[in-house]
Amino acid sequence: MSDQPYEYYVDIVTKRYFHGIDNGDMDLVMGCFHSDASLREMSSNTLHDGYDAIKEMFVALFAAHSRIWHGNFVHTADTRECAICSQFSVEVTSIETHELVRYESGNRFYLEDGKFRSVFVYMSGETLLK
Amino acid sequence: MQYQSTLDRNALVDLALNKYFANVDNKNLAAVLDCFHDNAMITVQTSFTLHEGKENIKRMFVDFMDGFDVIIHRDFTCTVDEGNGRIAASFVAELTDPQGNKTFLENTNFWRVRGDKFQEVYIYMSGENPLV
Repeated sequence: MSDQPYEYYVDIVTKRYFHGIDNGDMDLVMGCFHSDASLREMSSNTLHDGYDAIKEMFVALFAAHSRIWHGNFVHTADTRECAICSQFSVEVTSIETHELVRYESGNRFYLEDGKFRSVFVYMSGETLLK
Repeated sequence: MQYQSTLDRNALVDLALNKYFANVDNKNLAAVLDCFHDNAMITVQTSFTLHEGKENIKRMFVDFMDGFDVIIHRDFTCTVDEGNGRIAASFVAELTDPQGNKTFLENTNFWRVRGDKFQEVYIYMSGENPLV
């Protein structure tokens, strides 16, 4: 059972993690992760294992896009299991091509002591999280 | 859309794992379809495949069950949002076709429950979509 209330799970996902990504705030994003956290993109089976590997992936993501937006969230949050699964839309605009691409995604976040221990990402198209 | 569910935590898990997946694996088509409202929708979000209404959902399951000799869903991890009638589950799907070829997928389903049945189901797949 979690020490955090239901809204904590929704807030860390939307107001800290995705808000940080959408605004290029690396400290806000990385503050959501434990040092030994992992992030795995399931559709391409891409594993980012550990804080530094996750940060490296976000450095590349921020460098490649002029706009990143996450919205249309629907959450399945479970305080007993310290987990939240979120469905959402993503729009990104490439700095290089100026092309806007939209994805429909689903993430599973598993938390420990209020931070992400493991994150699993599904994307509708080619993975952004290389 | 937000729906009103009548199911508690244990009943949501029972609907997803026992009434739905166990009957998919045993090819009990009528019992599988009984989990859905007549106007339910299944969306395979990773391939943008939509099955709208019970008749279309039935057609998809008939083809799916005919297409594989053995269907196994296992290793479930459930996330349950009882207050909102939602449940998500990650799992391994192990599919064996008539030629003996095996396909392994690591998927996640999201179910939105209205009353005591599925209104919306969203499936995110790690590989090619067999639910066509």
